Order: sequence, then C-alpha cells, then structure tokens
Amino acid sequence: MAYLEVRGVAKSFGKKKLLDGLSLEVEQGECVVVFGPSGCGKTVLLRIIAGVLEPDRGEVWIGGKSVMNVGPEARGVAMAFQNFALYPHMDAFENIASPLRARSRPEEEIKQRVHEIAGLLRIDHVLDHLPKQLSNGQKQRTSLARSLVHGPSVLMLDDPLRNVDAKIRYEMRLELPRVFRKFHSTVLYVTQDYKEALALGDRIGVLMDGHFEQVDTPAAIYGSPRNRRVASLFGDPPINLFPIRPERGGDGAVHAQIGGQRVALGPRAAELAGRDCVLGVRPEDVAFGFDQAEGGIPVELAAVTPFNVRTVTLLKAPDATEILASRPEDNSLAAARGHRKGWARIDLDRALFFDAASGARL
Amino acid sequence: MSKGLLRRVIRGGLLLVVVLFFLFPMFWVLLMSFQTNQDILRTPPSLTFTPTISNYVALISGEIQTSVGTLPVYYMKNLWNSAFLSACAVAMSLVLGVPAAYAFARFKFRLGEDIAFTLLSFRFAPPILVLLPLQLYFQDIGLYDTYLGLVWVYQLITLPLILWIVRGYFEDISPDIEHAYRLDGHSWFRSMWKIAIPLARPGIAAAGLLAFIFAWNSFIFALVLGSSDVQPVTVGSLAFMTASGIQYGTIAASLVLSVIPTLVLALYTQRYLVEGLSLGAVKG
Amino acid sequence: MADVEIAMSAGAKRRGISFQRALPYLLSLPALLVCIGILIPFVTAIIYSLQRYNLAFPDSRAFIWFGNFVSLAKDPAFWHTVVVSLEYTALTVGVELLLGLGIALLLEKRNWVNDAISVLLILPLMVAPAIAALMWKLMTNPNFGVLSYLVSLAGVQDFKWGSSPDSAMFTVVLVDTWVYTPFITILLLAGLRALPKQPFEAAELDGVPRTFVFFRITLPMLTPYILTASLFRMLDSMQQFDIIYSMTQGGPGDTLTVFQVQAYLEAFSFSNIGRSAALVIVLWAITYALSTVFIKNWLKLRARAHGAT
Repeated sequence: MAYLEVRGVAKSFGKKKLLDGLSLEVEQGECVVVFGPSGCGKTVLLRIIAGVLEPDRGEVWIGGKSVMNVGPEARGVAMAFQNFALYPHMDAFENIASPLRARSRPEEEIKQRVHEIAGLLRIDHVLDHLPKQLSNGQKQRTSLARSLVHGPSVLMLDDPLRNVDAKIRYEMRLELPRVFRKFHSTVLYVTQDYKEALALGDRIGVLMDGHFEQVDTPAAIYGSPRNRRVASLFGDPPINLFPIRPERGGDGAVHAQIGGQRVALGPRAAELAGRDCVLGVRPEDVAFGFDQAEGGIPVELAAVTPFNVRTVTLLKAPDATEILASRPEDNSLAAARGHRKGWARIDLDRALFFDAASGARL
Repeated sequence: MSKGLLRRVIRGGLLLVVVLFFLFPMFWVLLMSFQTNQDILRTPPSLTFTPTISNYVALISGEIQTSVGTLPVYYMKNLWNSAFLSACAVAMSLVLGVPAAYAFARFKFRLGEDIAFTLLSFRFAPPILVLLPLQLYFQDIGLYDTYLGLVWVYQLITLPLILWIVRGYFEDISPDIEHAYRLDGHSWFRSMWKIAIPLARPGIAAAGLLAFIFAWNSFIFALVLGSSDVQPVTVGSLAFMTASGIQYGTIAASLVLSVIPTLVLALYTQRYLVEGLSLGAVKG
Repeated sequence: MADVEIAMSAGAKRRGISFQRALPYLLSLPALLVCIGILIPFVTAIIYSLQRYNLAFPDSRAFIWFGNFVSLAKDPAFWHTVVVSLEYTALTVGVELLLGLGIALLLEKRNWVNDAISVLLILPLMVAPAIAALMWKLMTNPNFGVLSYLVSLAGVQDFKWGSSPDSAMFTVVLVDTWVYTPFITILLLAGLRALPKQPFEAAELDGVPRTFVFFRITLPMLTPYILTASLFRMLDSMQQFDIIYSMTQGGPGDTLTVFQVQAYLEAFSFSNIGRSAALVIVLWAITYALSTVFIKNWLKLRARAHGAT
C-alpha cells in the first residue's frame, strides 16, 4: 500500500466543480510533482491532504490509515506555502522552531535542530531577523526549513519557487532534490512550470479538469503523453500540432497532407489510414535547411528567435500552416532573416499521433 | 492682493472661526472651573482673575462650602462608577466578542452572519426599547442600581463595536499563516491565541479604547437602570447641577473632570476613530 | 517517521472533524446569549405596547391590542412629537452635513496646520453629549453665561436660549451641531483622502473650473461617504435623548418632546408603560426601516473600505 493515498476526492466551490473524483498514490520517499495550469485546483488538493480544507467526497490515507477525522495538527504533514506564510511577529529562528515547540521538544534539541537545518539551507546567518527583513529567497528557505525541521512523513510544497528570483530558482532546483533525499521525505510538489516538473519529480501527475490526466515518469510524460493536451503542456516552444487525414497511397504506404505537401508518414502510421488525426511534432524534431531534402515541406522562413542555447525558427508553409522548429544555437540563421525559402523535414520516428476527436494518443 | 493670497486669507479666517467655535466651550468651562463664584457672577465676564483650585479641592474632598454650611458631594464616586462600569463593560465585551469575531472572520456560517447583523442592529435601535422592560425586570430580580446589571446592558454599546472592528482585523490576517501554524502541530486555540490575537492586537486595543469612550459617554442607560449607587458622571453631573444650585465653579470643575479621561483616550485612538465610529464601514 | 501514529494515538483523534465543525458555534455562543438576552426585553416591550398598562393602576392591566397605537394616532401630542423629532433631525443633519463638508474641504490638504486642527476637532465629538449639553447650559445661563453676554453685546437682550419655546430648538440644535459636526467632518475627510487622484489631475490638466470639478467629480465620488454619514446622523437624531433631556428635560412645556424623551416621560413621570412602549415601537419601526437600507449595503461598504486601504 502506498504511503500517501488520495481516494476519489472531490471539491466544489459553489457551482464550480474544481476537483472531480481525484485519486493518487505516492510511495514512501517518492517525489511526485502535481503539475497543471493556474486555477486547476492544485493548491486545493494540498489543503485537503493537509486537513485545512474538507473535501465534498473522498478520503485521504496516510501511512495506511484514514486521516479524515484527524485535524491538521495531527496528520504529520508539513507544507511550505507559495507566499511563505511566515509568522510576521516572530523571528526566523522562532518560525523554524514552531513545529518543534508544538511537540514540546526540549530547548537544547530545538536549538540544535534549527541551526542544523538553517545551516543546510544557508540561512543560519539571518535567524534573528524578522520575516520583513528577509529577502524573498531567504523567506522561501525559512519556510522550507520550518516544514523540514521536524522530519515530516509527508512534505508538501506549494509552488515554492514561484515568488523567488530566477537565479535563486535555478539554485533551488538543484538543491531541493538533495534536501529531499537527505530527509527521505515523501514529497508532493506543486508547480506550474513544466521544466521544474520534469527536473524534480520521480513522477509527474498532470492535473486538468479536476482529475489527473496522466501520472507517469517525466520521460514518459514527455515522450508518451496520453493526449494532446498533456503533450501541449510540456515543451517550449510548444509542440506543433497538424490536423491530418492519412490516406493509403497506391504504393501501400500511408501519406498525409502537411503544409500543403504530401508527406509519407512511415510504418508507424500504418493503421491510421482514413482516420481524422492530429500529428504532433516537437520543434526539436523539425529540421530546417535551405537545400531540398527528401520528404521535406517547402516553407518560408518567417522569423528567427535566437535564445541562449537554442534558436527557434517560425516557418510558414504555402497553405499558411505555421511550423516551429528549434535547433541548437545557430547564429548563421540570424543572418537569414527575411523570408528566405527553405525546406522543413519532420522526423516521423519521433512524431506523435492523436485522435482528432478525443485527443487521445494512438 | 493676489487671488491666491486672498483665497488663503479667507480660508485661514474661516478655519479660525471654526476652531474657535469648537474649542471655545471647553476652554471657557475650563476657565470657569478655576474661578470663584464671585468671579463667575461678575459681569461683564473677564479673562483676568485670580485662579483658584478650591472647586477641585471641593470635589475631591467631597465637601463644598456654601453660605449655609458644608454640602457633602459624591462626585468622586461618580467618577469611579464611570471608570469601573466602562472598564468592566469593555472587558466583558472583549471576552465575549473577540472569540466570536474570530469565528465570524475565519468560518463562514449562517448563524454567525445572523448574530453579527443582529448585534449591528442594536447600534441603530432606540435604547429605551429594551431599557424600559429591563427596568421592571431588574427591579424584580434585584439587578436595579447594580454594577452587574449596568455592565450587562452596556454590552448593547460595546459589543457591536468590538465585534465588527476586531472581525475586520482578523479578516485582514492571511489565513495561510494560521494554516501553517496548525500544520506545525498547534491546536486551533493556540493558533487563535498566539497568532491571530497578537497580529490583530492594534485593532483590538483600539476597539477596546473606543468602546470605553462610548460606554463612558452613555447617559440613558444609567439614568433608567441605575440610581445613586452606580451613577456615572453623565447622570451624576445633571443631578449635581440641579442639586448644588449656585456652585457654578464647582459645577464647571465637575464637567472638566468628566471629560478629561475620554479626551485623553481620544488622542490615543484618533487613528482608528473613523473606523470605530462607523463600526468598520469606513476606514480612516 | 511515525508522526502520524504518535499524534493519533495521543488522543488527538478525539479532536476530530466534528469538533472542528462545532467550533465556530461554540466560540460565538456567548455573543449569541447576549443577543437572546437583548431580544427578551424587546419582545416584552412589544407585549407592553399591546397592553393597557399603567403602574399607577395595576389592576387595569389588560391586552388592548392596537388600542395604544390608535390612541396615539388620534392624539395631537403624538403628532407633535413626530413633528418635533422630524424637525430636529432635519435641522441637525442638514446643518451638520453642510458644515461638516465645508470644514472637510478646508482641511483636505495635508499639512501640519490642517492635521493639528483635525485632531483638535475630534474633541467635541468625544465629550459625552449629556455633558456637552450641561456645558452649553452654563454658557447660556442668563445671569453669567458668556454667550448671553456676547449676544447682548450684539444688541439682543435677554436671549432665553433653552428656556423659551421660541429658542429652545435652536439651542439644542446648536449643541448637537457642536458635538456631531466633527463626526461628519472626519468621515468625509477620510472619504476625500481615499478618492483616486487621476480624475482630479486630468481635470486640472484640462483646465476644468473648480466649481465644475467639485459638483461633477468630487461630490458624486463622495456620495457613499455622505450617505453613510447622513444615515448615521439621521438614525441618531431621530432617537436623540441625552442632549435634550440634559438641557431641558423636554421642555419648556412640550417644545422638545422628541420620541425617546416623550417615551421616557410617559414611562417614568406618568407611569404609563403601555403607551410609552407603543411610542418606542413606533420609533423603532421608523429607525428599523432606515437602518435596513443601511445594513443591506453594509458588507459592500466594508468591502470597499477594506479594498481601498
């Protein structure tokens, strides 16, 4: 039995149904990321697990026992809030010490453990500061220290890096897994940032429309998304989606019209003839060149955006279809701005096919 | 004179008239309190006289010298009554109102809204509506002219104020702070006691002081439900004025003593005055 | 970690969800008791109003249902009470609103002089109305009152202030104005300072004349504050007791017998409990109607106040 289980939890606010029969299992020591767009109910789910919010239906089980009749102070769950929720009238030391004081630990032990965790998170030099004297990064780490200090069985982090500077965010993305491993915590991590999700999670739960669309390892989510919505959420720039109707040609191979060009879809599309589909191709699987290539689509180079490590090109096919292609940093393309003609070749081995109506992957 | 300067002069002049109007009565009565009856009765009234503290001495010592002998005066008891009644009423309202305000701020429940608005309506209802029946009840159960009876009825004045103002301050505290405290392992009571109340303390203090002022200034409550035992200064001053007849300086001194406490408190709470007077409907 | 097991076995299970659910009710129980404690006399007052009940004639106490109200409606003294109350309310609210608004406009700009004056103006408001009336009684004493003297300098001899039916209303309105104008002033001042700056800056840039700005921009935006202040004052003036009773006890004669004063006299001078209760019920009905309008928008007002800060 998993350590943390959410069984069929539902919660509505007025007429709005936010969570609809949600279920999730988290193994002990695992880090599961709850990922989804803003407003999809991630924070509500955390609050229900924490016990500060009552679900309309469903149960939460921790350590093999239902905690539905247990108050938040007794569930053994710790939470680091998005806006830190530090106690404004207590200094950082007291903030972190709070869970230990709740458990009536001796003063010596409190001092030792607070300093230990503060040292680990590199805030032991500001322990006597009040929250308003701390920077956002320090507040976030104080909040994290508070939730870790008593070694909770379940640790929940509600988008902790959202309100923090980009530089610190990168630092913490490296540090957090280290901290989790040190404490062997079972972690539930909420974020809206797909890169964070891919980096931190042992598994990712994609929360949409009140339930989990897919719960899988990051590789599986990225490489084998269950449907086109999940596929669209991961990847920057987002996945190219082309509606197609594959047809079996005279030579037995399956073809489709992409960008006005008849392209062979390869053996993977064998059963798709006659079905309305959507072809999903990630920009890194689209190659752009000025020389004609076999199976390529004639396009016009509409825009080039060089990012730090990648260059993203916007290509326009004759029938106005737009294709995004990305490749490792390539300054030569920058000189090519201004509607030069070229060819786009799709790596069909890595393409994804979705059913047009349901969006499910085929 | 330029238009701007003329405007400034007119504005200054108007403000001067306004300030004179509103401050003059208090100034004049203060002056009277340091005058002997002789000085007071002299016409025309003049600003030059030799001040005397005999009026205050009379009040504090409890005796006035009149032309027909000494008159006992219980004014100090009135002052004590005002202070005691107001303080007890505020204390009771804090004990009753702060937890209720917490409940209304943190939990949304129908009964809570009903209670809150019923208490609000007390602020706008004519007091004699309840004072009249209470007078008859109190006489029957022996609460007439007692501190307990009046402190209970003073809740009509102090409880709505404290409830509505403190509720606002609790609502201003982010609920996440208390959630975090609960998740740390503390009970709901510790959360209210160690987090909510300390963070709302300025509002609670202000509400308490304002409630004290309004309780002190009340008149009809003690008039109907009290008699000489528990008479506060508001009722006592009227009786004093009628009784001591010609002791105008002493009367003036009694009026001065009656208002000094509230004026001092008012200076402390001026930041919260607008909010208190409008029961939280308007923030100053 | 065995946190959950430890906590749950330590009896925290007792404090389960059902206690959490009952908590708000438990916390507000004392306040609820106070409400009930006040509602009981209220109901009693209603009962009295439906009875012929005079303490001097205890045997004749009986239910006469709407008899008191009918007798009131037929009594010219009752209508006199209504007229006097309305007159008092109209005069006080009218004068105080105009004066209060004027003063607020004078003090609008923040500088040390205006701020000091604002503080000083609070003081009359903090004086007990009953005491304020006594202060003015001293000042208007015909023998030594400084106001009588000053007025005589202006050529008006022997102004009777509160002792004459002609000038009694003027006198109490004057006292009321002295006490309560600052209330309107500080409320409207808070309102003026809470108004957004952009419309005024835009008007200044466009060269709009100041009277236009005042009547078409300032006043409309101040309306909620003006309404709040007016409703508070109207409700208080309709029920005014302290000032009038301290000044003249409703006299001279029946010149100033507003509702609560008259009800008091009925009950405690004429021991006519039933009639007094009926009178108060009528007053209550009026104030209830007025305050309902107010209370309906109460939460909206609070939300605006909380959002604005």
